[in-house]
Amino acid sequence: MIRDDLVRWRYRLIPNTVVGEILSKPWIDNAVPVLMLAVLLTVFGALVPNLLTLGNLGNLSQTVGEYLLMGLGLTIVVMAGGIDLSVGSVFALANLVIIALAGWAGLPMAVAIPVALLSGALIGLLNGILVGYLRLRAFLTTLVTLIVVRALVDSLLLSYSQDIGAAPIFSAFWDYLAFGTVYGMSVSFMTAVALAVAVHIVLTRLRPGWHIIAVGGSRRAAHNAGINVRRTVCLSYVASGTLAALAGVFYAARLMSLGAETGVGLEITILTAVVLGGTSLGGGRGSVVKTVLGVAIVVVVTNSLLRFNLPSGSSPLALGIILLLAVAIDVRWVKNKRKVLDQTYVAPTYFELPPLPDARRGAATPYAVNDHLATAEPIGLGLLDGPEDVILDADDNLYTGSRDGNILRLMAPDYTRVEPYVHIGGQPLGLAFDRAGNLVTCVAGMGLYMVRPNREVVKLSDETNRTVFSIIDDSRMRLADDLDIAPDGRVFFSEATIRYALHDWMIDALEGRGNGRIICYDPRDGTSRTVLPRLQFPNGICMVPDGQSFLYAETWGCRVSRYYFDGPKKGRTEVVIADLPGYPDNINRASDGTFWLAMIGMRTPAFDLSQRMPGFRRRMAMKVARDQWVFPNLNTGGVIKFDLTGQVLQSLWDGEGGSHPQVTSMREHKGWLYLGGIFNNRIGRIRLPDADQSWTSQSAYWGAPK
Amino acid sequence: MTRSRTKLTQARIVLGIAVLAFATFSVLVPDFLSAGNVSRLLQNVSILGILAMGMALSIIGRGIDLSMVASMAVSVAWMLAEMNAGASFAHAFGLALVFSIAVGVINGVLIAYVEIPPIFATLAMGTAIYGFGRVFLLASDVNYLPDDWQWLNMIATAAPLGIPVSVLCFAAVCGLAHLFLRGTREGRYIHMMGDNPQAARITGVPIRPMIVGQYVLTSLVALVAGLLMAALVATMNTRIVGSTYVYDIILVAVLGGISLSGGRGGAGSVIVGTLLIGILLNGMTMMNLGYTTQNVIKALILLAALTIDSLVNPRDEQTSQQGDI
Amino acid sequence: MKIITKLVAAAALCIAGVAGPAGAQDASPSSGFYNALKGKKIGFVPIAMGFNETQAWRTAMERQAAALGYEIIVRDPNWSIEAGIQAINSLIEEKPDLLIIENIDNRSYNRMVQKSIAAGILTVQTQQRSEIPSDAYMGPDWNEMGRNAVEGMVQACGKESGKNGKVAIIQGALTAPASLLQMAGIDEALKDHPEITVVSNQAADWDATKAYQIATTVLQQNPDICGIVGFWDVADAGIASAVKEANLQGKVAVITSGSGARESACDKIAAGDFSYYTSYNTAGQGRDLNAIIRTLLQTMPEPGSKPFDLVSPLIRINKDNMTPSSCWSLEELAQIGG
Repeated sequence: MIRDDLVRWRYRLIPNTVVGEILSKPWIDNAVPVLMLAVLLTVFGALVPNLLTLGNLGNLSQTVGEYLLMGLGLTIVVMAGGIDLSVGSVFALANLVIIALAGWAGLPMAVAIPVALLSGALIGLLNGILVGYLRLRAFLTTLVTLIVVRALVDSLLLSYSQDIGAAPIFSAFWDYLAFGTVYGMSVSFMTAVALAVAVHIVLTRLRPGWHIIAVGGSRRAAHNAGINVRRTVCLSYVASGTLAALAGVFYAARLMSLGAETGVGLEITILTAVVLGGTSLGGGRGSVVKTVLGVAIVVVVTNSLLRFNLPSGSSPLALGIILLLAVAIDVRWVKNKRKVLDQTYVAPTYFELPPLPDARRGAATPYAVNDHLATAEPIGLGLLDGPEDVILDADDNLYTGSRDGNILRLMAPDYTRVEPYVHIGGQPLGLAFDRAGNLVTCVAGMGLYMVRPNREVVKLSDETNRTVFSIIDDSRMRLADDLDIAPDGRVFFSEATIRYALHDWMIDALEGRGNGRIICYDPRDGTSRTVLPRLQFPNGICMVPDGQSFLYAETWGCRVSRYYFDGPKKGRTEVVIADLPGYPDNINRASDGTFWLAMIGMRTPAFDLSQRMPGFRRRMAMKVARDQWVFPNLNTGGVIKFDLTGQVLQSLWDGEGGSHPQVTSMREHKGWLYLGGIFNNRIGRIRLPDADQSWTSQSAYWGAPK
Repeated sequence: MTRSRTKLTQARIVLGIAVLAFATFSVLVPDFLSAGNVSRLLQNVSILGILAMGMALSIIGRGIDLSMVASMAVSVAWMLAEMNAGASFAHAFGLALVFSIAVGVINGVLIAYVEIPPIFATLAMGTAIYGFGRVFLLASDVNYLPDDWQWLNMIATAAPLGIPVSVLCFAAVCGLAHLFLRGTREGRYIHMMGDNPQAARITGVPIRPMIVGQYVLTSLVALVAGLLMAALVATMNTRIVGSTYVYDIILVAVLGGISLSGGRGGAGSVIVGTLLIGILLNGMTMMNLGYTTQNVIKALILLAALTIDSLVNPRDEQTSQQGDI
Repeated sequence: MKIITKLVAAAALCIAGVAGPAGAQDASPSSGFYNALKGKKIGFVPIAMGFNETQAWRTAMERQAAALGYEIIVRDPNWSIEAGIQAINSLIEEKPDLLIIENIDNRSYNRMVQKSIAAGILTVQTQQRSEIPSDAYMGPDWNEMGRNAVEGMVQACGKESGKNGKVAIIQGALTAPASLLQMAGIDEALKDHPEITVVSNQAADWDATKAYQIATTVLQQNPDICGIVGFWDVADAGIASAVKEANLQGKVAVITSGSGARESACDKIAAGDFSYYTSYNTAGQGRDLNAIIRTLLQTMPEPGSKPFDLVSPLIRINKDNMTPSSCWSLEELAQIGG
C-alpha cells in the first residue's frame, strides 16, 4: 500500500499531461523555425560584429519589410493550395510603373501609388483568372506570367529607361517612404508588420481566411461545402500581386533604380522564406507567423554570410546546406509529431476504486444479473444509429439523437414512423424539455443547443470560462454530454472530458483523472460558468425534486453524487453511491420518487487493477497498438433503480446481451421504460406494471400540461 | 494513357500549334523552309531538348529537378578545369561522371529517404552545388576548353550526312529514354510511381531506390547536355546556374503534355515541346525580332497552349489532385 | 583615325597625370606616404567575384595592400543588387577609409554612393558609372568601345576590304549600360560609314550559348555576311564556335571586346576565333585602382568634393599586332602586379 501511496503522490504532484497538450497545439509547429532562428542568431550574432546593432537592423528593416510583404502574399496563395512565381516580375513592374508615373509623368503620389498597386493586382487577377477560373496549373501559369511580365518590363526599359529614369521625384511622402523611420524601423517594415497582423487576423479569425485555408486543405471538400473555390483561389492571387507591387513601390522609393536585374530571382528567395517557415507547398498548413520566421531566417543567413568575407560560392553553399537542414528537420518533425503526440498524449494517473460488488447471476446483492431487458420491445430497429438519450413529449412522441447529426422523432402511438426532427450537425446526446416545451440538447463537439417547438435551432452555449494556466483551450466545449434543467430555468450540463473528442471518448478511461466538469448555463444573462471542475467523466445529471440539488454520475469514477446548487447546503457535494459495479451513464426520475440509472458497462478486476498502475497504462499507450489496449468492459450494461439514500432497489439486465448489451439512458413514461444505447441500433421499451401509468417526467418537472 | 486516339491531348494541341507556327513562318520568312535552316532549328534547341528529356524523367516519376542546370554546369566546368590543369580526358571525364552521379544520389536520398519535397530539395541543392563548385572545384565562373582538346569542338560542330551532331545526340537521348520508359521494368515503375506512389509501393515497387535512380538518371542526362554545350561553345560558364534557364527546361518538358503531377507523357511529349520552342525561337530570330519581344511572344504562345489544354481537358474541384500545383 | 589618335593621347595624358607624381614619390618615398596607407581599411564590392576582371582587380589591390600594410575587405554580392546594397550598407556601418563599388548598372547604387559619401567615406566607382559622381571613377569609356568596334567593322568589311559591308551585332543585356552605351557609340560612328549595313541586331544576355544560337541562325540567314560584332569576349566564344562550325573561319570577322585576359582574348585571337579585339586591359585597371587608392588616401579630400575619372586606355589587338604582353593572366598579375 505504501507503494500505491508513492505512485499516487507522484502522479498528483507532477502532471504528465503537459507534453501531450503542448504537442497538440497548432503553434508548436513553429518550434523548428523558432529554434533555427535562435541558433542562427546566437551563432551569427557572436561571429559577425554589429549584426544585431540597431543600425544594421535599421538598414535591414527595409529589405525585411519588402520580403515580408511579398512573403505574406505568397503565404496566402500557398495556403490556398497554389503558388505564385510571378512575384519577382510584378515587383519589377511596380517599380517601373511608380517611377514612370511619379517621376516621368509627374503624377501626384495619391494617383501614382494606387495605379502601381493596381498594376500588380491586375497581374494577380490574370493569374487568378487563369488558375482559379480556367483551372490552369499554378506552377506553370505563374512561371509563364513571370516570363511575360519580365519581358514586358525589359522592353519598356529598353525603350524608355533613359527618359523615365532621368526624371527626379519631388515629394515629401516619397522621401518619407524611402527614409522615414518609425521607432527606428523603416516605413516599409512597419507597413509589413501591420499588414502581417491584419493578414493573420483574416486567415485565422475571418471568413475569407477560413475559406482560403479550407480550399488549400481540401479543394474538393471546400467545393462540396459550398465555398466558391474558384473565386477564393482567384482572389488569393490578386492579394499576392498587390502585395508584391507594394513591395516594389517601397523598393522604388528606396533605390529609385530601373536596373534590369530588379526582382530577378526574388521569387525563389520569397518561396524559400515561406517554405522555411514551415508553410507546406500544396496548401493546408501554414501561417503568417511561420512566414515572418522564414523571412527572418533568410535575411539573417544571407546578411551574415555576406559579411563573413568568404570566398565566392561559400555563401550559396552555406545557404543551400542551411536550407536543406532546416527543411529536413521540419519534415521529420511534422512526420513524427503525430506519432509522438499519439504516444504521449494519453497521460494516466493513479486511481483506486472501492471494492467491486458482486453482480453475478444469483448473487445476494441487488445487482445480480437477470434477463428483464431481453424482452424489451424494439422501436425503430435498424432505423436508428446511436440513440444515446431518449425523451418523450406531451403527445407521447419519442425523440432521440443520431450519429449523423439529427434529432429524430418517432411518432406515437406505434413509433414505426421516423422523421428527422431537426438537423443540428453534431451528434445530440442528452435531451431535456424545458418549461416552455423547448427541447434542450447537449451536442458532442458543439455545446448546448435548444430546439424551439417550431423546430428553430438556437445555440445556448458553446464556451465557458477558461481555466487559468490551462494549456488546452478548455473554454470551448468538446464533449457536452447530458443536462437537466432547474426549476428556475438554469441548465446544468456535464462535459465528459476536455481532453478528448467524441470519437476518442473511451481513451479518457485510461487516464483515471478528472478531466470533465459540470457547467451551468444561465438563460437570464446567457452566461456559462463551470461549477464543478475535475470530475471523472461526468455523465448523467438529474434534478432532485427539492429544487436545490442535482444528482450526477461519474462514469469512470463508478459513483453517483449529489450537488447542492442552492439552499442551506449550497456548494456542497455528497456521494450517494460510491461503489457501483459498473460505469454509470444517464440518471432520470422514476414515478415513485426514486431514480433510474443507466449502466454503460461493467467493472472488471483487471481494469480496476490497472487503474492503480498508471505506469503500466502509460507504457501500454506508448508501445502497444491501440486495438490491443486494455479498455473498460462496455459489452454488458443495464439499468438500476436507487433512492436518495443511495440504496439500490432494483436492477434490470439483458444477461445474454441480445438486444440491450449496454444502456446509456432510460426514460419512464406512462408505465413504460424506454431504453437508449449509444452503440445500439434501436430503442427498447419494457412495461413497468407496478408504476404509475399516467406519470410522465414532463408533468413531474413542469406540472400537468396546460 | 488510356485516352482515346481521337482525343485532343495536350501533346496533340502543342503539335498542332507547332505545325501552325511552322506553316506561318514558312510563308512569312524566306529561307525558313530550307533544309539547312530546319537542321539549324533543331540544332539550336537540341541541348534544351536533352535537358528537358532529363527533366521529364524526374517529372514523370512525380519529382522535379531544379538542380539540373547547376549539376550540369559544375560537373562540366570541373572537367574543363581539370583538363586545363593537365588531366587526361578519361580522368577529367571520370571526375565529372562521379560528380554528377553523386549529385543525383544526394538529390534522391534527400527526396526519398529524408522526404523533403522535390521542388525544395533540388532548389536548395542547386544553390549548394554551385557554391560547392565555386569554393572547392573552380577558380572562376568561366572555364574554357583547352587548346589541346579543340577536337571535341570539332566533333560537336560536325554534321555527318547533314545532320548536326547535337541533333543526333538529342535523338539518341530521346530514343534511349523512350526505350527505357516503355521497354524496361524500371521505366514502367517510374510511370507507376508518378501515377500513384502509394499504390506503386503497395504493389511492390521499391519506391525509394527507384527515386534515387531517377535523379541519378536526370543528373547523367544533364552531364550529356553539358558536355555537348561545352564542346559546342568551347566554354562553360557556371553563371548559367543563376539564370532562368531551368524554367525554359521545365516549360519545354511540360508543354508537350508531361503532367507536373507525374505519370503522364513520354519522350514524344518532350520532342513535341522542343519542336514548338525551336520553331518559335528560330522563326522569330529569322524575323530579326529582339530578345525581349521573342520572350513575350514565346510566353504568350505557351500560355495559349496551357489554356487550350485546360479548356479541352478541364479539371475541376472533383477531379484535381490535392497538393498538385 | 583622328579620333583614335586623340583618344590615345588623352588616355596617355591621363595616366601620366596620375602615375607621374605617384611614381615620383615611389622613387623617394616620404614617411608620410607609408603612414597615409598603413593600417587603413578599404572595402570592395564587385558585381561578383567569379570572373577574371574582378579577380584581377582584387589580385592587384591585395598585392599592393600586402606591400603597404592596409586591408582590403571584399564583400561578394554575386550578381544580386539586393545583396550588393546589403554589402555596401554593412561596409558603411563599419566605416572603412575608402569604399570601391563596381556598379551593376547606372542607377541601382545611386543612393548607396550618396550615403557612403555622406558617411564621410571616400568612394570610388568602377567599370560602370552611376549617375552620382563620387571621389573617383575608373573604367572604360563604353562609348569609345562602341566606336572602336565600328573601327573593327570598317577594317574587316569597309570600302577598302572589298566586301559587302554586312554585319550583325550581338549585344549583351539590352538594359545594361555597358551594352547601351556601346550601342550608342556604334550608332554614332556608323553614321560616318554608310557602307556598313547592320543586318541583325540582337541581345544574347552575356551568355555564350545564346550567342552561339543567334550567330548560327544569323549565319544561316545571311551566308554572305562579312562580320559579327559581340560585346563581351566570354559570351562571344559562342559566336566563334558558330562561325567555325559553319566553316567560315577567316571569312567572317568576329569583332569583340573585353578584359584582355589571355585565355579569353589572346589565345582565341591566336586560334583565329576573334579577328579584332578591343581590350580595356584589366591588368592596367588594377594598377589604376591602386593609383587611386594611393592618391586618395594621401590627399584625403573631403568625400565627394573633387571627383575625377581615370578612363581605362583601350588596346586594340589583332593577330598581326599581338605580342606576349598584349594580354595578361592572373598568375602574372599576382607575380608582377598590374
